[in-house]
Amino acid sequence: MDSKIKETILNPIFKGNPITVLVLGICSSLAVTVELKGALVMALSVTIVTALSCLVLSLLRNTIPMRVRIIVQLVVVAMLVILVDQILKAYAYGIDKQLSVYIGLIITNCIVMGRIEAFALGNKPWPSFLDGLFNGLGYGAILVIVAFFRELLGSGTLFGLRVIPQSFYDAGYMNNGLVILPPMALILIGCIIWVQRGIQKDLQEK
Amino acid sequence: MNTNGNVYTIVYTTIIVVVVAAVLALAAQGLKSRQDANIKAETISQMLTAAQFATKDELSKMSNDAVLDIYADKISQAFTVNAKGEKVADLSTERANLELMDALKGQNSAMKKGGDLTLPVYIFDKEGTPVTVVPVYGAGLWGPVWGYVALDKDLKTVVGAYFDHESETPGLGAKITDDPAFRAQFVGKKVDFAGEAPLSIVKGGAQGESQIDAITGATMTSKGLSAAIVTWLKAYIPYLQKVAPEGGMDCCKEGESCEGMDEGCGMDCCKDNNETTN
Repeated sequence: MDSKIKETILNPIFKGNPITVLVLGICSSLAVTVELKGALVMALSVTIVTALSCLVLSLLRNTIPMRVRIIVQLVVVAMLVILVDQILKAYAYGIDKQLSVYIGLIITNCIVMGRIEAFALGNKPWPSFLDGLFNGLGYGAILVIVAFFRELLGSGTLFGLRVIPQSFYDAGYMNNGLVILPPMALILIGCIIWVQRGIQKDLQEK
Repeated sequence: MNTNGNVYTIVYTTIIVVVVAAVLALAAQGLKSRQDANIKAETISQMLTAAQFATKDELSKMSNDAVLDIYADKISQAFTVNAKGEKVADLSTERANLELMDALKGQNSAMKKGGDLTLPVYIFDKEGTPVTVVPVYGAGLWGPVWGYVALDKDLKTVVGAYFDHESETPGLGAKITDDPAFRAQFVGKKVDFAGEAPLSIVKGGAQGESQIDAITGATMTSKGLSAAIVTWLKAYIPYLQKVAPEGGMDCCKEGESCEGMDEGCGMDCCKDNNETTN
């Protein structure tokens, strides 16, 4: 594997993570991280949409008229999002019911458009596909971390299964209602950014 | 080739849009039957949950066909009534062709504007007891809320209820669906035919047989759901009053014929009597 491809794959996971470094896709990461299951499906959906739209638009990149390129991107992204939504409705109805609104909002997820504009329009299809795929996964990783803490502390469950034993509740332990609300997700993401900048000194502003 | 010319731009965007539209139309067409089946099974499992045949978790683990099988097995009558409580039409309860009336949104606006109503009534057979399930529909905080209320054979006592929503806040408003303790409150409550609110959700301590405690932190959703229940049950009261047995639970006394009795009122036991007297 040549170093450029390796860079494309590794960069979005940690060093150039779309949420913690590029600060893209924050809104949806606040909305869908109440439960792990929802976060996982959302992460998967965004990954598929980003990867495929980067691939398609990279294939089309030399034919797209520059003046209307944003709208062409939007049409392709919207098509893929609607397809994902339709397929979920047909094969994973319960999850789609939970996520429906947010699936539609993938269209406006800055990660998708951001990666298309910044990478796919200037690179060959295969690297573009990988870039989209791994940016989606980088986004998904943060989503899952946040959802893990929110579900554990907010509902006492993981993937809907109770992990905090009943004896804790009997002894006076209570689920933290604040964790369920979006502000706490923002604070959690802030903590993740803090940890990352602690490890990766070059991100720190002077 | 000049990709920035006007003609090129117009032709290019046209082609893109047509191709995308074709792909989406194809996908929608191909997946429609599966999606409709999912929606139908979901509606049915909500009714079955309200009537306490199974829990929602059990039903959502089943296949669509299994849910439909239970419905076909338990349903005894399904029909629509108008605002005066008169029967309008039958809904098929054949396994191969199960009919539901799930266009609740249109009926909800008709209730507000005073138009003609066509309200579905589903009567299940629960170990010999007729359980009547009626839908409710209204506006929550962020989107619609709806659900099903199941009534015992006196048509007053609530057997159970199930509510669903489109986009209420998870952990707060979404508790109308997720919190079994909230739904359990409905069991045993009585629909007040004469009252201003037949069955309502109130803040700060429910009193009496027709009130349910609201959800903490979800005032707007609770209010919306309460309004939905009040509006819909009120629309059903003419029917319920007509059919509800007077005084007691027994609809049909021994030896009585079906004549003069209202439909939906223990028809099966009447028929049996008729057969024996014949």
